[in-house]
Amino acid sequence: MLTQFEHFAVTEMMGKPDSPPRANGTLCFGSDWERTSFGIALALAKEGYFEWDDFRDELIASIRAWEDDHPSDYSSWNYYEQFLTALESAVVKTNLLTTSELREIFDLGNQASQ
Amino acid sequence: MSERFKYREDREVYSAARVRALEALLIKKGIITDRTVDTVLEFFETKMGPFNGAKIVARAWVDPAFKERLVADTPKAIAELDLPDGMAGAEGEHMRAVANAPGLHNLIICTLCSCYPWPVLGLPPYWYKDPTFRSRAAREPRAVLAEFGLPISKDVEVKVWDSSAQIRWFVVPERPAGTEGLSETELEALVTPEAMMGVAVAKAA
Repeated sequence: MLTQFEHFAVTEMMGKPDSPPRANGTLCFGSDWERTSFGIALALAKEGYFEWDDFRDELIASIRAWEDDHPSDYSSWNYYEQFLTALESAVVKTNLLTTSELREIFDLGNQASQ
Repeated sequence: MSERFKYREDREVYSAARVRALEALLIKKGIITDRTVDTVLEFFETKMGPFNGAKIVARAWVDPAFKERLVADTPKAIAELDLPDGMAGAEGEHMRAVANAPGLHNLIICTLCSCYPWPVLGLPPYWYKDPTFRSRAAREPRAVLAEFGLPISKDVEVKVWDSSAQIRWFVVPERPAGTEGLSETELEALVTPEAMMGVAVAKAA
């Protein structure tokens, strides 16, 4: 059966710990950076730069680490923050970016938010 | 609390700047282009989602002959409409529509999320995959529907359809009263994923 990668990728996540937020049958993005993070990860996996399942393992680990750190207070939860962390980890592990390039990204983030 | 998760007032700005920098670097390296994100997300935003189901249902509301064909041979009827490729084929190939009627209410459940009729309904809500919802909906659908705010009167039959790898069901809700003057496009806006799952009915706006 021919299945589109996009369809496969998202249905794989349904009902699992890394299920993305959704509303009214569609993916639900709180802001543009969330949408872009999602699109980049999906596109890289679709192009074969990494396996979607490997990326999801990163994401699930990142979600679990956040939950362990916030045992009772979920008020600061943002799914896409964990998604972005997993994506950054995946692009370095697959050598798409170097660790120093990733550091540059963090620096730019810090500069922007100061 | 570790440094990694330290609370920042500026989390939105921080995350946004990181994503911008990441995307720019990947574009600079020729790994993606500035169109990549839009292209991959267009699939969800314009090709496969609940808006397709809404089109199918609205057509069934304005064209009773289409509705009959839709229930008799769902993929063939869907293929009549100008919907994206793969709607009646691929994941949609075992799609079956069941129509609500006076005296009959349909509810769909599924045992595996991969069996959800995604091209038509979009993504399933969280509770849909919950084993409690599935087993209770199969056992006591009226009680579950009442909890959804949809009490079904005793003289209305409730049928529950379990989607599987073989057949993916969706519900054609009844056209709400008072919508006689609406165009097909206006009617589409009244068709919700919940109504096509049978946990709600379509309502006039």
